Amino acid sequence: MVDLAPAPTARRAPAASPYAPKPWYTRVFSLSGKTVVGLILALYAVVSLYPFAYMVSAAFKTTDEVNAGNNLIPANPTFDTLIDTWNRLHFFDYFLNSLLVTGATTLGVIVIYSCAAYAFSVLRFRGKTLLFRLFLVLLFVPGVVTLLPVVMLENEMGILGTHLGLILPFINGSAPLAILLLTNAFNAVPGDLREAARVDGAGELRIFSRIYLPLARPALITIALLTAIPTWNEYQLTRVSLNDPTRYTLPIALQSLQQGDTVQYNTLMAAALIVVIPIIILFFSLQRYFVNGLVGAVKG
Amino acid sequence: MTSHVTPDSAVRGVGSDGDRLDPRHSPTPPPAAATPAPRPTKRARIRYNRTESRWGYAFVAPALILFAIMGIYTIGYGLALSFARWNGFSPNWEWVGFQNFTDLLFGSKTYAPRVQAAALNTLWVCIAVPVLTIAVSFPLAIILNSAKRFQGILRSVYFVPYVTTGIAVYLAWQYILEPNGAINALLKALGLGSLSQPQGFLGNPDTALPTLIIVLVWSAVPVAMLLYLTGLQSLDTSVFEAATLDGAGWWRTNTAIVWPLLRATTGIVFLLNLRDALQGFQIFLIMTNGGPGNHTNVLGLETYRLAFLSELAPTLGLASALGWMLFLAALAIALINQRLEKRAQ
Repeated sequence: MVDLAPAPTARRAPAASPYAPKPWYTRVFSLSGKTVVGLILALYAVVSLYPFAYMVSAAFKTTDEVNAGNNLIPANPTFDTLIDTWNRLHFFDYFLNSLLVTGATTLGVIVIYSCAAYAFSVLRFRGKTLLFRLFLVLLFVPGVVTLLPVVMLENEMGILGTHLGLILPFINGSAPLAILLLTNAFNAVPGDLREAARVDGAGELRIFSRIYLPLARPALITIALLTAIPTWNEYQLTRVSLNDPTRYTLPIALQSLQQGDTVQYNTLMAAALIVVIPIIILFFSLQRYFVNGLVGAVKG
Repeated sequence: MTSHVTPDSAVRGVGSDGDRLDPRHSPTPPPAAATPAPRPTKRARIRYNRTESRWGYAFVAPALILFAIMGIYTIGYGLALSFARWNGFSPNWEWVGFQNFTDLLFGSKTYAPRVQAAALNTLWVCIAVPVLTIAVSFPLAIILNSAKRFQGILRSVYFVPYVTTGIAVYLAWQYILEPNGAINALLKALGLGSLSQPQGFLGNPDTALPTLIIVLVWSAVPVAMLLYLTGLQSLDTSVFEAATLDGAGWWRTNTAIVWPLLRATTGIVFLLNLRDALQGFQIFLIMTNGGPGNHTNVLGLETYRLAFLSELAPTLGLASALGWMLFLAALAIALINQRLEKRAQ
């Protein structure tokens, strides 16, 4: 008893932070626990990056090497495949098309649904609850149900196969999530701010643009990312509506490349890399807003 | 996700108070606080301020107009089409009542068996993806939460599958799952050559669906892990102090305390993944197109094939009917979930 008592304290003391109490879990993971934790975390990092790593690897290989084997590190890394895909296979043009469609969709979603969310969160008018619920139920309408009617409708309107014909349904498809998330974000803004601004003579537009929009910036960025990422990768509607190769977006260009007979995996993976790199950069530069905003959305 | 989001000021039984205001009221309306909604009876009432109402409609208008064009028309069209037979080219629809629905469920000898097989595959996906996602992301979140260093970097790395989800990464998966691909090579190098698939993992009918399920879980883990991680970080640590003092070990603390406390998070993760598993089909379309031999055909993909890939056969009504059945299933699941959540509280 006398011997045992000081031992744990002595072992625990040097590890303890002098500033903060130790969290509950640190006691559980002692020396060997730490190793196991590190191994599991490293293993899942490998799992997360595994396909991506091979995408990068193949993109930097020559055709001969990609056909020869599966070594992760290319023996003679080359930029030729990437440059070739970017220039000769017109991926620069497809990139611009994707940028246009994704940018316009994201902007449209932000403008249209931040307005709608302001009305749903702050203003009082008849039929509000009904409208709000209507938009929420849309969350459960499978995309595949409206795919065919959208094609039919756009055919009649004469915008089938144009970029506008993609942007409009994409914006509308983002409605439920954007309204839900932004309404929650606006609900968190203290009502006193609005009252004070009104007493000072500010109108609704001013209150909306000067108070509510700046305060909801994390939610706006989250919605921008939640719109931009799926739109950038969108495949189903784009595939059935675009016929003209000059209007192809990156995913469709990638798919038509895959269906060609002679394509090699180094070219295909170079093209795939061109598709994912912009979205990876965008995501990681805005990641901290995204994490907070997403959590807020789900908790609301 | 759908619960507890009703705007607080909106009320169900709205009376006629909104019109009672004098139309020639002063141009500067009184602040809203000056006219609090009186609640004399059980049925709450709201006084609508005319100016505010107008602004309300103005702010909702762009969303509503877009919805009226892209939403109401297409949903109405799809609903009507589910009661008709049409091949997409003939000038007229042939109205068939509920026959599309009955054909799909049991009536037709060509479509019913395909739909039933697809339903079985969908069922597997609907069970396996949410369960496996939770089984991976919950322990992963606990372990990541206990990591002191590199937590931010690891969280970013774990998010790569979510960010890259789409055709590009599915093609990368195809590449490594090939007969001569990296996965087979890795298994051989680890001395697990008996697990390798000479036909490729997507070429073997027995491994194709499980492989796709694993890829789906791989894509779904990041968001689920993030939700668990925030759940964990919002928990009161004194509970764990007490549990540790009482001699509860790591396993017992997490299974008996943390897991029940995060039940709401588990519910959200389950619902989100269930909806995606029920309706999503992009990965199936890109990676296997339902093959080999319909072994990875799911209901969403079947809908897509009936709508776009069946040449001149009059299957558009069938596609629409199948899509609406998927909608009803998703809505039913969401409502059941909401009911359960309310009961749990």
